[in-house]
Amino acid sequence: MKGTSNIQRQAARPPWRRPARFGRWLRVAGCGLLAFVLNAAPADMVLIANGVYRPMFRSAAEPKAVPVKAFYLDALPVTVNDFLGFVRANPRWQRSRAKRIFADESYLNNWAGDLDPGINAPARSPVTYVSWFAAKAFAQWKGQRLPTVAEWECAASASATRPDGENDPRFQAQIQQWYSRPTPAVLPAAGADTANVFGAHDLHGLVWEWVADFNSALISGDSREGGFSDRRFFCGGGSQGARDPGDYPGFMRYAFRGSLQADYCVHNLGFRCAHDL
Amino acid sequence: MNTSKLSFALAAALLVNAHLLRAAELNTNAAVRSCCAAKEAGGLRPAYADKSLYQVESQWTTDGGKPIRLRGLAGQPQVMLMFFSKCTSACPILLNDLKRISAALRPEQRAQVGFTLVSFDTERDTPAALAEYRQAWDLPLKNWTLLSGHSDDVLELAALLGVKYRKAAAGQFAHSNVITVLNAKGEIVRQQIGLHEDIRETVQTLGKLVRN
Repeated sequence: MKGTSNIQRQAARPPWRRPARFGRWLRVAGCGLLAFVLNAAPADMVLIANGVYRPMFRSAAEPKAVPVKAFYLDALPVTVNDFLGFVRANPRWQRSRAKRIFADESYLNNWAGDLDPGINAPARSPVTYVSWFAAKAFAQWKGQRLPTVAEWECAASASATRPDGENDPRFQAQIQQWYSRPTPAVLPAAGADTANVFGAHDLHGLVWEWVADFNSALISGDSREGGFSDRRFFCGGGSQGARDPGDYPGFMRYAFRGSLQADYCVHNLGFRCAHDL
Repeated sequence: MNTSKLSFALAAALLVNAHLLRAAELNTNAAVRSCCAAKEAGGLRPAYADKSLYQVESQWTTDGGKPIRLRGLAGQPQVMLMFFSKCTSACPILLNDLKRISAALRPEQRAQVGFTLVSFDTERDTPAALAEYRQAWDLPLKNWTLLSGHSDDVLELAALLGVKYRKAAAGQFAHSNVITVLNAKGEIVRQQIGLHEDIRETVQTLGKLVRN
């Protein structure tokens, strides 16, 4: 194209491919699409734009960055009040009725009763002491699903101002500070922090969150292609296989997920739902 | 600088792990207590025990093309393995372990034990592919079940069995190596972890689960 003038280029294209007209059409269509998308967003969900997920650990044969398609994510973690609605509608998920294979003894441990969260589980605080099965059942009940690790990490890597918060040292420092504080006995209300650039709150700083494929972190077990052995993860040179040895919160999330079993119910572990576009 | 910070992160990660493991231990004890309390109370017995895998509703397809729920495996102990047929490293060894277990059972015991293989590879392991696998590995028609299912259900079953896996490069799956023994009610009674392990304990467990 070097050396050809604009006019020549335009003349060589059919009218609908000419940049000026196409640009205008694109703007109109873009606005329409945006309006459609904004209208179509399920209640209380935000749009997480197309992004990339950089796995914490990968083998040499695997790509550094995995594309993540745009999706909807709850703006807030699921609250105690939301979950109360769920157990009302699904008695088999009430604290005294849940099957032990789907939720361990700590299930809804901070609630006062089956339908009474009580003072230790304020209505607007994130629901915790929920198992992966319970979280999944809640999402299904709402016609939604749990986000994948890739989706969650993609959403959580955004700072208040930019989607690639991993390149923002101030944001990283903030997360590390959050991670250094112990979880209070009674969790504060969700949504008190500044939303990230997508409009999502509390991805850091309040509770950990279940993801659909929490059991994809192979900290031990099969070590196909040398990517996931104990040695690789824990030894002195262990950060070699890691994406960014300085991403301590990333390490912690990876390790936390790796140590979970699907029936675990923990004080600082909640969830939020996702939805396809 | 990096080393010290890294070791901090890893130490923290280990602490998280240790805490959860402790929690798990407590939970196991609590589960044992609650089971016995329920028995004493003599309350309504659920269709399946609290810890039975056969409570899940997921639908599967056998390599013969027959739809089946997991509870279709109830009634006899099952030796269950999650695998995939294109696996070139761990799964052949695990499958060999299953055959060793089968061979170590006395014939009358063997007749009462099921072996169930469930594939991670929801794309390529169609019933037809699994039927081919059955032939290639010379797996008996009787008592050996090969299942394929939807990826969500595979994920759920893996979660129930404590199996970790993820799709890796070149159509392979990284996965933990776990052989699970379920009793006739679908409760996990033993898990053998690793490749080419000593099978004696697993065989003993099975021996106790069948009529001798």
